[in-house]
Amino acid sequence: MAGRILLVEDDPQIADYILSGLAEEGFTVDRVGNGRDGLFLATDSQFDLVVLDRMLPGMDGLTLLKAMRAADMPTPVIMLSALGSTDDRIAGLTAGADDYLSKPFSFGELLARIHALLRRAAGGVRQVQDTTLRCADLELDRLTRQVRRGARKIVLQPREFRLLEYMLMHAGEVVTRTMLLEAVWDYHFDPGTNVIDVHISRLRRKIDDGEELALFHTVRGAGYRLAAD
Amino acid sequence: MARRVPRRSFSPTMLRLVTAIFVLQLLASTLVILFLRGQMLDVVRLDHERQVIDVRDDLLAAYYDGGREELAGFITSRRGSAADPAVFIALIGKGPPVLSNLVRMPAIASAARPQPVMVRRGADQPPSEGLALAGLLPDGEQLVVGVVSLTERRIDLAFAATAGLTIALAVAMALLSALVVGFVISRRTHLIAETAAELASGNFGARVPIEGTGDGFDHLRQQMNLMAERIGVLVAQLGTVSGALAHDLRSPVARLSAAIDLALARASEPHTIEALQAARADADALRAMLETALEISLIEGGAVEDRRRPLDLAAVVEDLVELYEPLAEQSDVRLEARLAAVTAPADRELISRALANLIDNALKYGGAAVTVSTSQRQDPEGEGWAEIAVEDNGPGIAPADRARAVERFVRLDDARTRPGGGLGLAMVAAVARLHGGSLALSDPPSGRKGLVATLRLPC
Repeated sequence: MAGRILLVEDDPQIADYILSGLAEEGFTVDRVGNGRDGLFLATDSQFDLVVLDRMLPGMDGLTLLKAMRAADMPTPVIMLSALGSTDDRIAGLTAGADDYLSKPFSFGELLARIHALLRRAAGGVRQVQDTTLRCADLELDRLTRQVRRGARKIVLQPREFRLLEYMLMHAGEVVTRTMLLEAVWDYHFDPGTNVIDVHISRLRRKIDDGEELALFHTVRGAGYRLAAD
Repeated sequence: MARRVPRRSFSPTMLRLVTAIFVLQLLASTLVILFLRGQMLDVVRLDHERQVIDVRDDLLAAYYDGGREELAGFITSRRGSAADPAVFIALIGKGPPVLSNLVRMPAIASAARPQPVMVRRGADQPPSEGLALAGLLPDGEQLVVGVVSLTERRIDLAFAATAGLTIALAVAMALLSALVVGFVISRRTHLIAETAAELASGNFGARVPIEGTGDGFDHLRQQMNLMAERIGVLVAQLGTVSGALAHDLRSPVARLSAAIDLALARASEPHTIEALQAARADADALRAMLETALEISLIEGGAVEDRRRPLDLAAVVEDLVELYEPLAEQSDVRLEARLAAVTAPADRELISRALANLIDNALKYGGAAVTVSTSQRQDPEGEGWAEIAVEDNGPGIAPADRARAVERFVRLDDARTRPGGGLGLAMVAAVARLHGGSLALSDPPSGRKGLVATLRLPC
């Protein structure tokens, strides 16, 4: 999936890394180093997504974001910040950011979140209202809370159910550990050890063991992907 | 306060001070007395010398007037100036010796001025000191005129009495002044010491009131206050330094992670990938430590919004135990929750973080069984406390090291040898303090081995 992304970041080295990474993924990236140019470009041209640093010379990220939202611009915004506390995250989200990533982050994490936002903006949100989520022969019924793989009925713990539900809602996308922690457990900290990996491998055994087609894929340096390919 | 020092006004230091004051006062009085005595004796001596010379002149006048007969008569009948009972006269030469107020002729050489001399004035009297002038008359006879030093002896007696009185007074005054000075110094120094104790206990806002007297004590107080000011600034800086450092290190670490990721995406050689993944893991550990250091400094600095609301701690514990349970199972650790319903005003995110740290530590270093329990209790003052206890059966922490284990900078040291585990307890303690609670490390009950980390929150 390609798209046009506006990158507003004043640290040249971080901007370089993000830029080259995104270019490699096939995105077209416009890059500016201060808030005023950022706002000018954002209102002037059509972007699919804005990656916005919070602390910028000229005009800070929060102000830029508020100005964009005040001008009724719905472009998805991911806010990057060296301010990682819950307070800062909440401030960013209330100002209208669609996602908030605290520095340092891995490029994989950023990429996964960009894809998730672009998918959501492109209409992937529809799945949220679906009562049945599917991926190949895997089926999850949100009303009866039943999970089947083909004819096989799979019994899941409540948390495993929510984990799978989230993975299915983002089927085909890369889902990072942090995204899972935030969405399934509502934690915004890094528990440090590979807790999520163990949860996923447990779930993966229940879904994929004995099946010809593996649905769970590990994405190196980023997270997981649930897909039939 | 770090250590209670018994407050005494009279201490060995004070005793030495009193002694010094006493000795100095005594010395001063003695010197004054001796000087006075010397002066008075000089005056008296001059007086006596003049008296001796006066008497001698009278005697010589009588001699020149009527010769030896007239002189002898003058002496024996003690006329005029010779009538003073203190005066003694001797005339020895051709005729029989004429002695007035004397038993025998005193041994004395001729001189221009009166000389000290010992004389016996009566057969039954002891020899007494005197001042006498000897001279030769024109006919070769020797005339001795003198005065007994009665006044000097009386003066000495008076001075002896004065000296005694002075010593008694000096002792009394020294004691009194020492007590007063000691009390004043003691009171002032104790006031300053109390402020110092406040500073030592961490209250860097403590100041000594300046009295504006401009003396050494005021100087000391001003310097104390300056020092306190400086300590306060330094401590505040120290507190923010780890935060600032963590903050500034974030961008380089972000670049490091990004570079590793880029390299990983391009690498195909298995060894290279392995090495890059190891580097990636280390970069992640570094990032986690920076996050924690920053979080601690934010919490300690009070720069955290109050998001406390009534929180079902049992549910919080249940969620976390559920999060860690697969990991525990994988590492063959039995992770159990023993829950009682407890509600306390708390920030779910922070409490979860703290608890995650405790559980993570217990899983890493705590042996084969970890139990997380919630409970509620009342202390003797009637305050209610919610307690979350994480008990493991690992090697534990020696009681002597427990207080240190919770300290932030000490743990920073440990963190260097045990990556990732270092700041954990300091973080938990910071969260506990933010909630008005505490973190305590203790032995498990009934002699089991292991460690219990208890997070207490007011409820």
